[in-house]
Amino acid sequence: MTETVPVHRPGPRSWAILVAAEAKMVARDTSGLVVPLGLPVLILVMNGLAFGGEDAYEGIPVFERYVMPVALTIVIAMIGVVNMPSFLSYYRRTKILRRLSATPANPAMVLAAQVIVGIVQSVIGVVIGVAAAMAFFDVGLPDRLGAALAVLGLAALTMYAIGMFVAAIAPSPNASVAIGLVIFFALGATGGMFGPTGNLPRPVAAVGEVLPFGASVQAVGNAWVGADQSPAHLIAMAAAIIVSTAIAIRLFRWDA
Amino acid sequence: MPAIEARGLRKRYGDTVAVDDIDITVETGEVYGVLGRNGAGKTTAVETIAGLRRPDSGTVTVLGLDPWRDRARLRQVLGVQLQDAYVHGALKVAELVRLYRSFYRSGADPEELIERVGLTEQRGTRFERLSGGQQQRLSIALALAGGPRAVILDELTTGLDPEARRGMWSMVEDLREDGVTVVLVSHQMEEVERLCGQVAIIDRGRVVAVDTPAGLVARAGLDQILRFRVARRFDPAVLDGVEEVRSVRADDREVTVTGTGDLLQAVSSALVKADVAATGTRYQQATLEDAFLALTGNPIESEESA
Repeated sequence: MTETVPVHRPGPRSWAILVAAEAKMVARDTSGLVVPLGLPVLILVMNGLAFGGEDAYEGIPVFERYVMPVALTIVIAMIGVVNMPSFLSYYRRTKILRRLSATPANPAMVLAAQVIVGIVQSVIGVVIGVAAAMAFFDVGLPDRLGAALAVLGLAALTMYAIGMFVAAIAPSPNASVAIGLVIFFALGATGGMFGPTGNLPRPVAAVGEVLPFGASVQAVGNAWVGADQSPAHLIAMAAAIIVSTAIAIRLFRWDA
Repeated sequence: MPAIEARGLRKRYGDTVAVDDIDITVETGEVYGVLGRNGAGKTTAVETIAGLRRPDSGTVTVLGLDPWRDRARLRQVLGVQLQDAYVHGALKVAELVRLYRSFYRSGADPEELIERVGLTEQRGTRFERLSGGQQQRLSIALALAGGPRAVILDELTTGLDPEARRGMWSMVEDLREDGVTVVLVSHQMEEVERLCGQVAIIDRGRVVAVDTPAGLVARAGLDQILRFRVARRFDPAVLDGVEEVRSVRADDREVTVTGTGDLLQAVSSALVKADVAATGTRYQQATLEDAFLALTGNPIESEESA
């Protein structure tokens, strides 16, 4: 009994197994897997048919400036705002996080593993979207590829921060999906998901542009057509990260 | 040094005192029962011992470690099966065992562990598709994944059918043979009586008695009943001097004796001495359930819904 127990934290092997486990959880949740990957492709096709053959609408290259940014933003927003918090909420409700806290694993490991899996899923979704656009709609890579990747990364962080906020305030997995979807559609509707923001009342469009979805669409669009970034969009996303994270940290509970 | 020692544990939630000054001492290698009705504070007490809840006051030492200060160390050597905790539902048996095994520095071989809990056939089945008994067995496997020196099992067999229950019991017996210290939380008398060396009866947040199952029955001071037939008319005076005997009733040739202590032995030798031949002897001993009722003053079912 007097022998000492060495401190041991789960190592890289354990992390790899946990990430693989979370990936299986996501992959076996059919709707959570398919919707974020399929919806953007659907958006591409619908717009492809709508704008059929027209490269530009009122002088703006539609696909690069508008359709691609919306499709890719849908991928990262769907995964970050709807899917990830529903998993965390389910883990909390079913006391999986509590069960893990009785092992040498920290429940925060699960959170990190979910984010990693979400990022991988987002990358896959983005690659599918871009590949489909390049193959069928003759869309090229962004003019400023580095800026586009950086902006997408920032947007993904923003969506995860909002997802953490959703996980923190949702009392149950169902509530989490509901809250996530409401936020997703509210941000999407004001940010150009259902059509160019020029069709929205001007004040709504102005607000939508600095909300995370709209800011991401504008910033990615700028990078795609080779325009300079507008600081407002980047600051808006950074602010959303700070506010969401701060609230999430205050309110997040590991226990149901 | 005992494997687990808790002194003066107290825990309240708002106005409700869940655990009120509990002392528990579990010797190394013993199966220790924590018996009480639902809502008595059993789970709060053992979750505090496991370091999952922080006591308002009191001290806990588990395998020489403080569950809060030495949290990381204790997790390596203490296995826990929580009452209603779930695991990743879409993961398969083998995936879950491998995942939990990976959290520990050393421990059981996943495939051996799966075989040991009898889930070899289900190793490719998702957790959410297992039966209740199979989920319970997996839950034990996960508690044992790190090769723990002590295990806390909370409501191991609640909701299981009799066969599954017996399977769980034999797993606990295996643990005892391997020298693993086991704390078994239960409200089932038969389970505690069969498996546990020492039993603490908890009622309303307090330990009301600690003893072996037989000791608890004796301590409750309950009468035993002995019935037998005699060939000729029975003279109750034969049992006059036997101090274990409390009452004697002879009804023609049928005799009923009540008493305490080693009643059977005492009456038998008195009958032999008086040259009385007794036949058809039936003996009824008070059970742990009778003792539980006597010690807590309520039937165990009365707060079942709590």
